[in-house]
Amino acid sequence: MKKRSINLSALTRSKITWAVIAELLILLVCFIIRPDFFSISIQPSTGVLYGSLIDIVNRSAEISIIAMGMTLAIALGGTDLSVGALVAVSGAMALKLMRWDVLEYVTPGDYTVKPFWMAILFPLITCTIMGLFNGFLIAKGGMQPFIATLILMVSGRGIAQILTNGKQFTTMYSPFRVIGQGNLGPIPMPIVIMTVVCVLMALFVRKTAFGTFVEAVGVNRSASRLSGISSDAVIMIVYSITGFLSGIAGLIYSSRIMSNDSNNAGINYEMDAILAVVIGGTAMTGGKFSLLGTLIGSIIIRTIVTFVYYFGIVAEATMAFKALIIAVVIVLQSEPVREYFARRSEKRASLKQG
Amino acid sequence: MEATGRKRQSLLSRIMNPKYIMVYATIGIFLIIYIFGAINYADSGFLTLRTLIISMFTENAYYGISAVGMTMVLITGGIDLSVGAVSSLTGMLIAYGVARMNIHPLVCLAFALVIGVGLGAIMGAAIHYLNVPPFIMTLTGMFLTRGVCSLISRESIEIDNELIDALAGFKIYLKWWNEDGEWAKIKPICYINFNLLLFIIMIIIGTILLQRTRFGRNVYAIGGNEQSAKLMGLPVARTKIIVYAFNGFCSVLAGFAYVLYVKSGWNLALQGGELEVITCAVIGGTLMTGGVGYMIGTLFGVLLKSAIPALITFNGNLLSWWGKIATGALLLLFIFIQRVVVLYSDRKKQE
Amino acid sequence: MPEDIILEMKEIEIQFPGVKALDKVDFTLRRGEVHSLLGENGAGKSTLIKCLTGVNHKDAGQILLEGKEINPTSPQQAMDMGISTVYQEINLCPNLTVAENIFIGRQPMKRGQIDWKTINRRADELMSRFHLDIDVTRPLSFYSTAIQQMVSIARAVDVQAKILILDEPTSSLDDNEVRLLFDVMRDLKKDGMGIIFITHFLDQVYEISDRMTILRNGHLVGSYGINELNKVQLVTQMIGKDIDVIFNLKRADVKPDAPYMLEAEHIGVPGKVKDINVSLKEGELLGFAGLLGSGRTETAEMLFGAEKTTQGTIKKKGSEVNLKNPHAAIMEKIAFCPEDRKVDGIIGDLSIRENIMLAVQARRGFMHPMSRAEQEKLAEKYIQALGIATPDAEKKIAELSGGNQQKVILARWMATDPDVLILDEPTRGIDVGAKAEIQRLMLEMCNDGVSVIFISSELDEIIRCSNRIVIMRDRQKVAEVDGATCTQQDILNIIAEGSAAGKAEEGSV
Repeated sequence: MKKRSINLSALTRSKITWAVIAELLILLVCFIIRPDFFSISIQPSTGVLYGSLIDIVNRSAEISIIAMGMTLAIALGGTDLSVGALVAVSGAMALKLMRWDVLEYVTPGDYTVKPFWMAILFPLITCTIMGLFNGFLIAKGGMQPFIATLILMVSGRGIAQILTNGKQFTTMYSPFRVIGQGNLGPIPMPIVIMTVVCVLMALFVRKTAFGTFVEAVGVNRSASRLSGISSDAVIMIVYSITGFLSGIAGLIYSSRIMSNDSNNAGINYEMDAILAVVIGGTAMTGGKFSLLGTLIGSIIIRTIVTFVYYFGIVAEATMAFKALIIAVVIVLQSEPVREYFARRSEKRASLKQG
Repeated sequence: MEATGRKRQSLLSRIMNPKYIMVYATIGIFLIIYIFGAINYADSGFLTLRTLIISMFTENAYYGISAVGMTMVLITGGIDLSVGAVSSLTGMLIAYGVARMNIHPLVCLAFALVIGVGLGAIMGAAIHYLNVPPFIMTLTGMFLTRGVCSLISRESIEIDNELIDALAGFKIYLKWWNEDGEWAKIKPICYINFNLLLFIIMIIIGTILLQRTRFGRNVYAIGGNEQSAKLMGLPVARTKIIVYAFNGFCSVLAGFAYVLYVKSGWNLALQGGELEVITCAVIGGTLMTGGVGYMIGTLFGVLLKSAIPALITFNGNLLSWWGKIATGALLLLFIFIQRVVVLYSDRKKQE
Repeated sequence: MPEDIILEMKEIEIQFPGVKALDKVDFTLRRGEVHSLLGENGAGKSTLIKCLTGVNHKDAGQILLEGKEINPTSPQQAMDMGISTVYQEINLCPNLTVAENIFIGRQPMKRGQIDWKTINRRADELMSRFHLDIDVTRPLSFYSTAIQQMVSIARAVDVQAKILILDEPTSSLDDNEVRLLFDVMRDLKKDGMGIIFITHFLDQVYEISDRMTILRNGHLVGSYGINELNKVQLVTQMIGKDIDVIFNLKRADVKPDAPYMLEAEHIGVPGKVKDINVSLKEGELLGFAGLLGSGRTETAEMLFGAEKTTQGTIKKKGSEVNLKNPHAAIMEKIAFCPEDRKVDGIIGDLSIRENIMLAVQARRGFMHPMSRAEQEKLAEKYIQALGIATPDAEKKIAELSGGNQQKVILARWMATDPDVLILDEPTRGIDVGAKAEIQRLMLEMCNDGVSVIFISSELDEIIRCSNRIVIMRDRQKVAEVDGATCTQQDILNIIAEGSAAGKAEEGSV
C-alpha cells in the first residue's frame, strides 16, 4: 500500500506524465472522429506496414533523431539552432556527390557519380565537423550556445547553396532511395534508423557515465571541471553528436524527396526539436534530461501535424494547433503550477492523516 | 577627491568608458566596409548618398523598427521569436481588412496594435509569472501567430488603397546647394520615405525610454541581475511585461512598414525575420546575456547588416548566398570582439 | 527609555512545511545601537530578518516600528518604511555604473527625465563619505568585490533608512575594509540609525556591537549587553553545548622521518603568484595563512592543476608530475575543495549520491560507469561516516544547509581515497558545530596518512590544527612557522610587517 502511494506521487511529479497524457488525449480525439485511425495493415504490394500510427512515427523520424542530440545540448544548458541548416548541408552534399556538375543536363538515372559510401559518409563527417565547430566556439571560445549556433544557422544554408552552386539536383539512384523510402521487412526504413539511433543514444548516455557528466556540466560547469570532468570535451562531444544526427536526418529527408532543397530542407527543425525536448520534460536551464520524454515529445509534434492533415483543416494552420497544445503543456509543466499541484496533494495527504 | 572629480569629467575619459566599446566596434566595422565599397565600387555609384539611404536604410527600415523593440527585450536578457510572425499578421490584417472587408487601413492598424501589444503582454506575463523560458514562450507565440495568418488567407492579398499609396509615396527630398548655388534636390534623387522616418523616430523614442526614464534603467537592471533588481525593490514584473508589449508594438509598426514596402499581405511574409532582427541587434553591440545595448548601436547594426548585400549587389559576380555566409562571419567577429573586451576588462580589474 | 526603541518584534512565529522555523521570538532594536543577531545556521536568523523585510510572512506575532504596527509584504514595502538590507551576496547590477546602482529606482528627476548630473554628483559625495576615491561613472563590475560591497552598503544607507540590516557583509572583506565598514557603522550610529548585524566572526561582534540576541533552533535564547557574556559563554549559548567538548582536537602526529608526499619548487603563474616553494609530508597538516588575495588560493589551484603552472616543478612521492588540469591531479590522487562552495563545489540540481560519486567516476572515465548499487553504497557510507543530515541520498544537494553541503563535497573527495587533500576555506559560512566537525575530520584523515593543506582566514583554527603554517603575502610566500609554537600575534606581525615594509618601499621610490 505504502509503496503504491509513493509511486503515484512520483508519477504526478514526473514531467513526462503530462506529455504522455497530452499525446493520449490527441490520439483519443483522433479515434473518436475516425475510429479506423488506429488500424494498421500490411500493404499487399510491398509488404510494408501501413496506417496512420505508422505514418506518424515514420514522419517523426527526422525530428526524433535530431531531438536526441538536442536533448543533450539542452541538458548542457545550451541549445543548437544550427540543426536545420545542417540538414540542408547534408542533403546538398549527398546529392552533389551522387550527381556531379558536368552531368547537369543528363536525365537523372539509376546511377551515382561518386561511390555511394562517399555520398553517405562525407555529409555525415561534414555535419559532425560543423557540430564540433559549434562545440569549439562554446567550450573554448566561451560563447553562449544560442549565439554560437546562430552563426551556422544563419550561414549554413548559404554554405549548402554554394556547395551546389544554387542548383537543385535530383537522383534516381535506388540504394539512396532505401534510406527514406525503403523498408526492413515490414518496417519502414526511417523507423528502423530512428529506433537504432534512439537505442544507441540511450545506451551511450545511461550505460556509461556520460549522461551523468552531461547533467553535471549542465548544472555547474566550473564545479564539474574541478571534480575532474573534462567539461570542454563533454561539450564538444555533445555538439558533434548533434551535428552527426542532423546529418543523418538530412540524408533521410533528401532520400524522401530524392533531391536537395537547400531552401526548405529542415526548415524550422531546430524549433521543432527544441519543443520536443521541452515537452518531454527537460528544462531549458539544463540538468536532468529524459531521452524517452524527448521521443514522446517529437511524436506529439508529429501527431498534431497528422491530426490536422487527416481532418481537413487548412494545413498551414498546423502551427496554431501546435502552439495551443504546447502552451497547455508549458503551463502544466511550469514551476508555479507544479508547485500548486504538489501543495494541494500534500494538503490532501495531511487531511487524510489528520 | 577633486582630482578624480576632474578625471571623471574629462571628455576623453567619458568617451573611453568601456561600456561604449561595442558601439564603437559596430560603427568602426561599418565604416571599414563602407570605405571598402567606396574605394572598389565608386565608379558604379557606391559612394553616393542614394546607396546609403535607399539600399542600406530604406529597404531595411522594417527590420530596424522591429529591432528597436528587440534591443529592449535582449537587454532584459530575454528574446522574442514572434516578431516576424506578428509583423506578417499585421500585413494580413491590413490587407484582408482593406481588400476584402473594406475597412479603413488605420482601423486595421489599430486592431493589429491591440493584438500585437496584447500578445506581447501575455507572453511577458507568462515568462515572468510562470517562469517559462522566453525562447519557448515566444516560439509558441510565433507558431500561434503564423497559424492564425494562414487561417486568414493562404494567398497573398494585394492592397489597393489611397492612404496606403499616399504613405508609401511619401518622400522628403534631401536638398543641398547645386552648381548654380541654388537650394535644390540632390541628384541622383535621394529622399527619406515614411518607413525611414518611422525608423528614426522609433530609435529616438527608444533612446529616450532607455536612457532618460526610470523604466529604461529598470530594463538594464533586470538584464544585469534580475534577482538583484527584485531585491532592490524595482518593479520587475511590470517592466518585463511592458518590454514584451512594447516589442509587440514595434513588430506591428514594422509590419505596417513592410505593407507600405510591398503593398500586399502574405501569410509567409518575413519568415525567419526574427533572426534578421536579432542579428541586427547583436552586431549593433547588444549582448544576448542582457544588460548591455544601445539604440544607436542597433541603428548602425541595421546599416552594417544591409551594407553586405549592397556590396554583393555592386560586385555583381558573387552569388547572393555569400551574403548569408558573410552575415554569419560578421556575427562570429562581433562575438569575438565582445569576448576580447570582457577578457581585457577582467585582466585590467585584476591589476 | 521606550522612545529609544525603534523596532519591536513580539512573539514572532513562522511555520514552514514540517518545521516551526520561529517559535515566539522577541527582538528589540534601539535607536543608535548595533545589535548583533547570533546563532548557528538554521537557528532562524535569516528567517527573522526575512520576516522583517517582507520576504517571509509571519503566522503570529507583532512587528512595531516606532510604536506603529507594520506588516511588510515585499522588500520594496519594507524599504519604503525605512528598513534597508545588505545581503552577503552582492545584490547589485554589475552592468550599471556605481552611481546608478546607488540611485536606481529612486533617481532624481528633472523635467520628466532622469537627472544624471545630480546622480553622479551625489554618488561622488556619498563615496567620499566612505573614504572611497573611485570614478562613480564606471560600471560596477569594473571594481573589486570589496568595493562592490561598500557600494551596496552606501545604497542601503542613502535611502534614509531608520533600520539597517547587514547580513554577513564582511565575509568578502579584508581587515582594512572591515575597519572602514566599522567606521561607517559608527557614523551611522551617531545619526541615530538602528543597525542589525549578522556575522560568523565573533571578534567582530565584540568590536562593534552594543547588544546581541542569540537564537537556537528557532527559539530565543536571550538578549544580552555586549559585556554580559564572554566569547566562550556566547558560543556555549549558541550551540547549547560546552565549547571545550566541541573543540577538543589534537594536532596530527607527524613522524620526523615521514617521507615527503608533495614537493613544489619555484612554481608560479605570471601576474598571479611567483616562485613558491611548498613541501608536504605524509600525514601532515599544512596551514596556509594570509589575507584574501595574498595568493593562497592561486597556490592551491596550482597544486591541483586548476591553474596551470608556467614555471617550476611539482613532485609527488619523489617523482615529477605534470598537473595540466584537475583531471590529471585527480589521477595523481590529489583532491581539492574549492573556496566558493556554491560556484565551484556543489552541483545543485543533482542528488547527494551523484555529487559524492562524481570525482570517483571522473577518475574512472565515463566508459567505466559505477553501477547504481555501487553508487548507493558509496553515498550511504559517507552519509553515515560524516553525519550528513538528510532523509536519503536522493535529495538534491541544493536543498541542504551550508555545513551539510560542505560535508558532501568533502565526501566526494574522501571517496577518491586521496593522498593529498587541499581544503580552501572549508569552514567559511558554516556554523560553529559543523566547523568543529570538519576540523575533526581533517585531523582524522591526517592520522590515516593523508596529507592535508588547509587554507583559512581564521587564524585561530589554522593554529589549532596545523603542524606547519605557510604565510603568504602579496602573491608570495613570506614565511613558514611551526604550528605548535606560534601564536596569532606572531602571524599577524609577519603579515603586517610585510605590508608595512612594502609601503615604505613604495614611499621611498
